[in-house]
Amino acid sequence: MQLYNIIINNLRRRKSKMLFMLLGIVIGIATIVSVFNVIESMKTQMTKQVSEYGINVVITPDSGGLTFSYGGIILPEILYDVEQLTNEDVDIISQLGSKDMIRIIAPKLISVEMLEGGQKVTVIGGNLKQEFQIKPWLTIENENSEASLTEKNIEGFVPADLIRQDISVIELSEDQIIIGSALANSLKVNKGDTIKISDNQFEIKFILSESGETEDHQVLMNLKTAQTLFNKPEEITVMDLSVDYEAGSEEVLLAEIKENLPHVQVSSLRQETLKRDEMLTRLVRFGVAVSILIVFIGMLVVGITMSGSVRERTREIGIFRALGFRKSHIIKIILSESLIISFVGGVLGYISGNLIASYSGPIFIGETIQPEWRVLVLFISVGLSVAIGLISSIIPALKAAKLDPAEALRFI
Amino acid sequence: MSEIMISLKDINKTYKSMGDEVQALKSVSLDIYKGESVSVMGHSGSGKSTLLSILGALNPPSSGLVEIDGIDIYKLSQERLADFRREYLGFVFQQFQLIPYLTAHENVMLPLTTTKRSNREKREMAAQVLERVGLKNKMNRLPNQLSGGEQERVAIARAIVNAPPLILADEPTGSLDTKTGDEIMELFQQLNKEGLTVLMVTHNPDNTKYLGRTIVMKDGRLSDERLNLN
Repeated sequence: MQLYNIIINNLRRRKSKMLFMLLGIVIGIATIVSVFNVIESMKTQMTKQVSEYGINVVITPDSGGLTFSYGGIILPEILYDVEQLTNEDVDIISQLGSKDMIRIIAPKLISVEMLEGGQKVTVIGGNLKQEFQIKPWLTIENENSEASLTEKNIEGFVPADLIRQDISVIELSEDQIIIGSALANSLKVNKGDTIKISDNQFEIKFILSESGETEDHQVLMNLKTAQTLFNKPEEITVMDLSVDYEAGSEEVLLAEIKENLPHVQVSSLRQETLKRDEMLTRLVRFGVAVSILIVFIGMLVVGITMSGSVRERTREIGIFRALGFRKSHIIKIILSESLIISFVGGVLGYISGNLIASYSGPIFIGETIQPEWRVLVLFISVGLSVAIGLISSIIPALKAAKLDPAEALRFI
Repeated sequence: MSEIMISLKDINKTYKSMGDEVQALKSVSLDIYKGESVSVMGHSGSGKSTLLSILGALNPPSSGLVEIDGIDIYKLSQERLADFRREYLGFVFQQFQLIPYLTAHENVMLPLTTTKRSNREKREMAAQVLERVGLKNKMNRLPNQLSGGEQERVAIARAIVNAPPLILADEPTGSLDTKTGDEIMELFQQLNKEGLTVLMVTHNPDNTKYLGRTIVMKDGRLSDERLNLN
């Protein structure tokens, strides 16, 4: 007969109360673990998306602070005294040490040109196949493109389909262009019609499907055609890159670009995304606040249950004391009971929290969260749970130890 | 002359009840010798239970000296007092006061729980005393699976398992029928014959025939004292 026999037998006897206390702890720990899991999963997902989806690095000339907006990305103002990007720079990028990280290079020359009727339009000269690969939302009207992925994913990203089949038809000659659907509507032109850009006649080979992006209002043509048309034979305005962050170090890649092209400005969407971490940080703070509240409620549940238990056991404690149990033995009994329940609660809370996260993933972040059974999280869960159990049982335990045995046995 | 087991000198105990002071014991002095068996009788409120709780090292007197086996018990620290109760005293409470979720065997082992004996030794000691009180075949039953007389025997076994020199009993036959009560009193008598000092609070005058001396209390004082002819 040891103290633990008394402890275990008492826990068995007071099943419903102990289950209530256990449930309180499990709910608390499970909530904390699931919130932690959802936030962690959001972070991982964000990095993965930036790595997998579309454009994630934009290279522009370093303008010294003067900028304009292109497709939601801030670009340097095109000035004559700014050293522009060139075709040679594209070659340099494609030969970097970390070139295996780069899945697509999409250089383009951008210019605002006047149409025949005096309407200004943005003309993009680019390598159109790469352009379509890196911008999966671009699809051709009436081309039965099944591979188009125009539905936007969360966070504004569109998955890049690097092997999309529909772009095989995108071949333009020097006098052919693609125009956005909104522009076609405003000009009242159709596929096969011709329009004049800077005194040159172009046939509209394709009209883009409406995507809601800036391309709806733009003209797309071959890079070489644009360079000739605008009399900028080697010039590039901007280079979009699709980078696989899982294939290497982002920092190394960005450093290599800076080193080899000191006159450029490199914007990493991942870095931009990291700023979104601020949002996550706020979410984490919210999670922490909720967790503190839950911990507090958990402590109340444990404290109230243990106080009730001590009250109910007044006579029993009196008997123990009369039979020679020291105050420390009584404290040990009460705290050990709490320790066992909170330990079990911590483990069950950890398991339930992971399961809740995996089931609630589709609701909160739109995809299933694979529970990560991390030992560290298990230790933290159990540690927190045990701390809740012990701290909130200290007062009831001391109360029990301080019970006057004569008073407790006033029945005799 | 035997050695003194219990020595009370000028014991006073005052309680506060609803703002008023109640003097439960008034200048009680008493000596009980080793191997003696003493019954304490008196009406409700006469101070019997207060006297028992003071002797049981559970309730310090307001004034006076309490010595058990020469130890001034209320000079001991709280923890040493707990050890003293475990080593020197065997309690038999009114209404048995068994722990309902422990078997008879486990209840008997309770005073041994905090000792440094091995589990095996504890089990054997408890089994021996249960055999002695005639309950060896029922040692794995819970208290609610035992009759009143059997529960009382378990309570007595629990009181003697640690071989204390002094047994303090409070109305041990109060809730038993006459026949069972007599059997229990015979058990106490037997224990006393084996050398244990027994002090028993009782309302039942018939019980006194099993004990050597009777003390009568009235209004917190010892009002009468007589030797019983056994």
